[in-house]
Amino acid sequence: MPRWGMVIDVKRCIACWGCTIACKEEHFLPPGVFFNRVLIGETGKFPTSSKLIYPVLCNHCEDAACVEACPTGATYVREDGIVAVDDTKCVGCRACMVACPYQQRTYYDEKTKNREFFPGQGKTEMETIGEKLYPFKLGTVIKCNFCSERVDEGMKKGLTPGKDEDATPACVNICPVGARVFGDLDDPNSEINRLIMEKKGKQLRKEFGTEPAVYYID
Amino acid sequence: MNDNHQNLVETMFPSDGSGIKPYEWMISPTRQRQWIDEKGIFLWLAFFFSEIGAGLYFMSLFYSFRPGIVIGWLITLVLGGIIHVLYLGNPKRAWRMLMKPNTSELSRGMWIIGVFAVLGFLQIITPGGFNMVFNFIMGILCLLIISHGFATMNVVRALPAWSSTVVLPLSIISGIWVGHQLLQLLFAMSGNATVVSGMEVWAATFFLIYILCIGLYAWGTWHMSDVAKISVKKMLEGDLKRATYEGVGVLAVLLPLIFTLIMWGGSTNGFLVFLRLASVLAGDLAIRYLIMKTAVYNPLI
Repeated sequence: MPRWGMVIDVKRCIACWGCTIACKEEHFLPPGVFFNRVLIGETGKFPTSSKLIYPVLCNHCEDAACVEACPTGATYVREDGIVAVDDTKCVGCRACMVACPYQQRTYYDEKTKNREFFPGQGKTEMETIGEKLYPFKLGTVIKCNFCSERVDEGMKKGLTPGKDEDATPACVNICPVGARVFGDLDDPNSEINRLIMEKKGKQLRKEFGTEPAVYYID
Repeated sequence: MNDNHQNLVETMFPSDGSGIKPYEWMISPTRQRQWIDEKGIFLWLAFFFSEIGAGLYFMSLFYSFRPGIVIGWLITLVLGGIIHVLYLGNPKRAWRMLMKPNTSELSRGMWIIGVFAVLGFLQIITPGGFNMVFNFIMGILCLLIISHGFATMNVVRALPAWSSTVVLPLSIISGIWVGHQLLQLLFAMSGNATVVSGMEVWAATFFLIYILCIGLYAWGTWHMSDVAKISVKKMLEGDLKRATYEGVGVLAVLLPLIFTLIMWGGSTNGFLVFLRLASVLAGDLAIRYLIMKTAVYNPLI
């Protein structure tokens, strides 16, 4: 069984927000909800300051703080390493949201559901269809699932996630500069492992001991 | 601009300037919101009522005071329980919270409250309920419930202000102190002046430890890390400084200190006991609010 992970090359990223938008389209996310974000910060002082661009998403941690905190077992780590939420078990206590050091979870309530992309003008056809095609359960927590639907369906068709677009997360497919690489962390010969080894991939906030499956290289 | 649009803008760019801008999210230290803002306010109250109910129950055990354990049991289960359920997004599934006591502090808390409910009820209805074994078990359960709220927060490694080592001692002593004050008032109302007077020496002791723990928490958090220091700064500056100075400084510390000094040596007075209790309750609520409201996450980059 593979363990899915991602490498993001922060030197290549041009902060186009393509990943953010592709993710919103893929999951029909309402306004204000993001499974993918691009953090832009600065370090140092002029004239030696430099700009930091970090696309962030759920880290699908091996020892996920959210999984430990969840009192119902609704949040769990799948065999392939993807951290998923079972909305039939979630009670909406938001312990996972508080516990996540990366703040990658969103509580889906009535207020979030009712937000419109064009406030006061009613929901667009796209938003209405999205609610039917990709429904979220009210009073539960939602998050990035590494496009597990695509990965699962693709694998059933014999495709390889990370290589074949139909089996690869939307944020990876859309990236115009190829800053994102998706693949199997357990396969020593995979592209993702090669990049991590060669470019000394770093995990965000490693000190929390959550063993993220998303690595950053520069 | 219509109301919906205005609400969205207000959410993203709060007009009072207190909120974080979207482009600062997790780049600057970012405040914890889920367990205090909007519906999260219920959790603040639920933790408070569970704590004071269990505190009253705990102190009543030492005096074998049945009305005290009945009221404590009811406060913990009815007020604490109902408010907990109000907070949940899917209350009908709340029973599922018993499923993961091995890792989740919330789940462990549910088990403890469940056992407390059953054994507490048995102790209330049993004529010889105040025996040593029962008292010992219920005492342990009360201490666990008192510390449950802060223990749930304490395990969140991502929030330095909550993972301070003083958080648990502070919660335990605050539960005992508030419970003691409630019990003293109950005795005062029942006209038992000798007991009320005798309790005063313990009131002074608990109060002293309580103040010490508040001071240690602030000092320890200030020196823990740069992000934890921001939590203390948020308490002392900006919107929350009034809650800190008036809620903690005056209501939790200064007024109880004055009342304790007036009643020093056991010269108690029912009205003063009531005033001190009111002040202590408001002060404890303020401390809990501030600790929950000012917790901030480490920036990611």
